[in-house]
Amino acid sequence: MLAAASLGMAQTSAAAPVAPAPVTTNDFKNVDTPKPELRVKGDPDGSLTGTVADIAVADSKKGLTVADALNQVGQNKIAINFVWTLITGFLVMFMQAGFAVVETGLCRAKNANHTMMMNFMVYGVGMLAYWLIGFAIQMGGVGGVANLGGAAPLNTEWTITLFGKPFGLFGQHGLFLTQGGTYDVGVMVVFLFQMVFMDTALTIVTGSAAERWKFAAFIVSSFVLGAFTYPLFANWAWGGGWLANLGTNFGLGKGYCDFAGSGVVHSVGGLTALAVAIIVGPRIGKYTRDGKSNAIIGHDIVIVLTGCFILAFGWFGFNPGSTLGASGNGSLRISSVAVNTMLAGMTGSFGAMLYMWMRYGKPDASMTGNGLLAGLVAITAPSGFVNTVGASIIGLIAGVLVCLSVEFVDRVMKVDDPVGAISVHGANGLWGVISVGLFADGKSNYGGSWNGVNGSVTGLFYGDAGQLVAQLIGVATLVGFVFTLSFVVNLLVDWAVGQRVSAKAELEGLDLPEMGQLGYPEFELKARPVTVQ
Amino acid sequence: MVLAGIVITLLGFLISVLSLAMTSGVGGRMVMVLIGLAVSFTGIIGIINRAYLKNAIWRK
Repeated sequence: MLAAASLGMAQTSAAAPVAPAPVTTNDFKNVDTPKPELRVKGDPDGSLTGTVADIAVADSKKGLTVADALNQVGQNKIAINFVWTLITGFLVMFMQAGFAVVETGLCRAKNANHTMMMNFMVYGVGMLAYWLIGFAIQMGGVGGVANLGGAAPLNTEWTITLFGKPFGLFGQHGLFLTQGGTYDVGVMVVFLFQMVFMDTALTIVTGSAAERWKFAAFIVSSFVLGAFTYPLFANWAWGGGWLANLGTNFGLGKGYCDFAGSGVVHSVGGLTALAVAIIVGPRIGKYTRDGKSNAIIGHDIVIVLTGCFILAFGWFGFNPGSTLGASGNGSLRISSVAVNTMLAGMTGSFGAMLYMWMRYGKPDASMTGNGLLAGLVAITAPSGFVNTVGASIIGLIAGVLVCLSVEFVDRVMKVDDPVGAISVHGANGLWGVISVGLFADGKSNYGGSWNGVNGSVTGLFYGDAGQLVAQLIGVATLVGFVFTLSFVVNLLVDWAVGQRVSAKAELEGLDLPEMGQLGYPEFELKARPVTVQ
Repeated sequence: MVLAGIVITLLGFLISVLSLAMTSGVGGRMVMVLIGLAVSFTGIIGIINRAYLKNAIWRK
């Protein structure tokens, strides 16, 4: 009987849940606000600060209404996302300092001023190009960014029809951040965040061409990359272009997925670095007459590894920031993205260190640093779609891949890359893009869909081979189209400006001939004898 | 030689894009994309870079 009574009670409570009473404007009339006499005494425990008194009221005669409260909730969500995206953007901006010291440390002291100056000015040159033209091409037709309140003016994509489907090619709103209604608070956040990403791609190239790149050629080449080449591919991947729509138009997974830019940022930078390094040619003394490679050692491994740490710190802006928010649409995945990022960097450094230790007998410091960066580059695309085991494997493979790639580029291709930029960013950027198509576990859920296709991004190992095909089409576009475009552009720059400094300037060191000032004027620099067989 | 390399590298990209129209199966598309990638890499490593190596500064 007791059991029956208990069952009856349970059935009763289950059958009649208490419905929450709807909130009305009258409910707000009874909410206490802190009394002014209490507020003037200060608020040491914070209990009086941030109350109903701080909610903006549209009509003071009506007082606080439900609409006022809901508007405040909405604005708070967007404010959280604005602050998150801006601060992570600031972290990414600081990565420029990391790149600067890594590249300078890996170059010889006689080129320190020149290498630092390229890394310094690439920030301004890229920003100018992107503000004038690049941003409009990349994001002018993205069609709204929900986490940032819509960014509604970015709504015009230039599209052609191919194979019976629309192919978005470039955006048309946002020139000078005023054209097309883009003088807009949400658009400004999008611009800042995307601008620092673009600048990261540009600074990759300065590494592969260091110690023999004419400064004027660097300026022109970087401007074109920031204004056209980078924004074009970024539009196809992130701006509503045809790669992002491979899912909706051709049924290939969720379309090309690149969470934070292994392909968009690092492969574009890395492949352009390859194009420029081929055109500029190797440094004098890098290869003997029979083609044997000489190691040209950098001048400061201490700042190289310091720079790697700065970059690893900045990467917490790069990847978690790419949710473009911390509230709504699955943005709480920022925790998972951040942990994936740090794990892949760790396994990348292990992979490179162990490879070098086993192959050459010592745990090479510069390659271990490059292994960390390679792991971070590779996890950039999949960081939002994989679990921690996947992230660790991706990073470990990247750490070994960067060593193999450096050897291939140096000894087989005989392309001189003083900092390993082609391998760290180019090769591992491509690996990162592919790894999304393999390791994405189908557990992420950013508002229920990605690139307009319902469901979560799922790779081959979790059942969707179509996603891998979409990723490979992205890789083919990077290798076949982006490289070609960068190569042709830099051939034109070579024809117009000349890419390489004179042999005299190169042997002397570029600081005086190119910049007019030594990086280390109080040091006596002694040239190491270079034997040419 | 460099011009031929540019054309072949771009051709690899076009083969990959054409996979979207020429077949609707995932396997067929993957094969075409991989062929396109191989063609592009041949253009870069086998033709463009090799052309530059013929006149490399260390040979002089």
